[in-house]
Order: sequence, then structure tokens, then C-alpha cells
Amino acid sequence: MKESYRQADDNELIRASLEGDKLAFSEIVNRYRKLVARTVKGMLGDSVFAEDVGQEVFIKLYHSLPEFRGEAKLSTYIQRIAVNLTLNEIKRRKRFFSMFSTKGNNEMYEFEVADADTQEQREASEIVSRALGSIEPKFRAVVTMRLLQGYSTKETAEILGLPLGTVLSRLSRAQEQLKEIIEKL
Amino acid sequence: MNREEIKKLVNASLDHESSTKEIADRLEHEGVAYDFKNGFTEKVVDKIFSASKQVNQEVEFVLSMNYAFKRIALTGVAAIIILMLSIFIMEGSFSINSIFGIGNTYDESIISMLTGK
Repeated sequence: MKESYRQADDNELIRASLEGDKLAFSEIVNRYRKLVARTVKGMLGDSVFAEDVGQEVFIKLYHSLPEFRGEAKLSTYIQRIAVNLTLNEIKRRKRFFSMFSTKGNNEMYEFEVADADTQEQREASEIVSRALGSIEPKFRAVVTMRLLQGYSTKETAEILGLPLGTVLSRLSRAQEQLKEIIEKL
Repeated sequence: MNREEIKKLVNASLDHESSTKEIADRLEHEGVAYDFKNGFTEKVVDKIFSASKQVNQEVEFVLSMNYAFKRIALTGVAAIIILMLSIFIMEGSFSINSIFGIGNTYDESIISMLTGK
């Protein structure tokens, strides 16, 4: 068992985690927590639910590590888990809120305004958060992958498990929605 | 970076052709950064490892119960076999009467026992 895994590559971390090394798995969490946060908070907004989903992502990752064959990068694998669990959470919240509301889109997106040093940074954070929160969830996943994660359309399609054509059409639709929203911000 | 530039970046990220990696990096640099609260990693690791410890204890308990049950069941089966053998040796058959131990009892004697005559 090592004292520090900062220099270790993902494969070494996975092997050590499978042997029950707590420190190795902590390093995986530290390495990928921001990646997961961008997906989960981008799609869900900032809420306690986002923290819970984030934790769930890594718990699921830990339990599915024995099945991880290394065909995809670990980051892609984590990203897929994060997207699936976040979409499940959105569905769950929709079902829950639909019991109490008769409006169509009852999902409650809480805006994330990051702790920023300057007013400009706060504004930037607010614009992105409001833009994401204003579009439909099915478009939000695609936009989050592009805007916050910086994935290409092909990578986005792979992670979301969608055909490339669907990703492209969702991007176009999201762009239409966003143009109107952004003008008002 | 002012508001308008941020808005342009957001719009540009949705162009199919644009390099979104660069946009994402610029946005992060401009303060659009996401992370979980402090102590997130510790919470996750604690949940995983304390849960697996608990699961291990539960598995151990179930295994020991299984072992105990097997031993009790084997002893029970052995006792039943011995009992059946002894009945067969003593009574010569497995009829209901011989199992209840009334194989050699005559009806008349039962009637006299019951009526006292």
C-alpha cells in the first residue's frame, strides 16, 4: 500500500482500489470530482441533490470497478455514470414535483453561482447557470457536455449513448432556445 | 471578460464546428468553475468503506448461520434415519400403526381399556 498516489496513473489507481486501498480510491475521487461536478451541477443546478448524486456516482463507480475493462478511458466511464444518474435524478424530481404542480416543466433548477473572487467572475458564472437552467433537460445534457466539459459532438454522442444525428439536432434546438434566453440575460 | 463576451462564448459552444475544449477552458478561467463542497472526498470514501465493512459482517453472520443450520439439519436427518431403522427392526414394517407404536395392540384390549370392562 502506497502513502501517496498523486503520481499514479489511472490503471494503477484502479488496481489498488480493487484491492481495497482507500487512499487509491480517494485519489480517483479527487482527480475526477470536478469533472463529475460540472456534469451533475450543470444538469441539475446547485442543490443538495447535486452533492448526493455526485457521491452516488463515485459509490457506483467503486462497485462497478471489477467490470471496468479499460476499453474506454476512466474519465469517459465516470462521465457516463454521472450522466445516467443525473438523468435518473431529473426524472425522479419531475415525477415528484408533478404530484404537486400542474405546470408542464416542473423540475426546479437551482442556479449555481460559484464562489468567485471578482464581480465579473460571478456574472460569468450566473450567465452560464441561468442559460443552462432555462433550457429543457434533454438539451441540457448535450449543452453541458459541450459547454462545460468541452467534448466534441462525437464524444458527446458516445457519452450520452445517442446517435450523432440526435446530438446535432439537439444542439441546434438548444442553440435556438439559448439565443432567446441569452438576449434577455 | 464582460457579459457580452461570455454570452458569445456560450453561443459559440453550440456550433457544431467550434472547438469547445478551448471554450470550456476559457469559461473555467473566467470563473465558471464547478466543484463539490469541502469534505466531499472523505464522505464518499467513508460511505464506501464503512458500508463494505458492514456488508462483510452481514455476510459472515449469514455464513455462520448457514453452517450452524447445516450441522443441525444433518444431526436431525441422522436421528430420523436411526428412528426409522429401529421402528422397522422392531415392528417389521413402516405402517402408520407401527410408527405410532400400536401395531401389536388388539382392538378388544383398547375397548376394555377405554370402558374399564
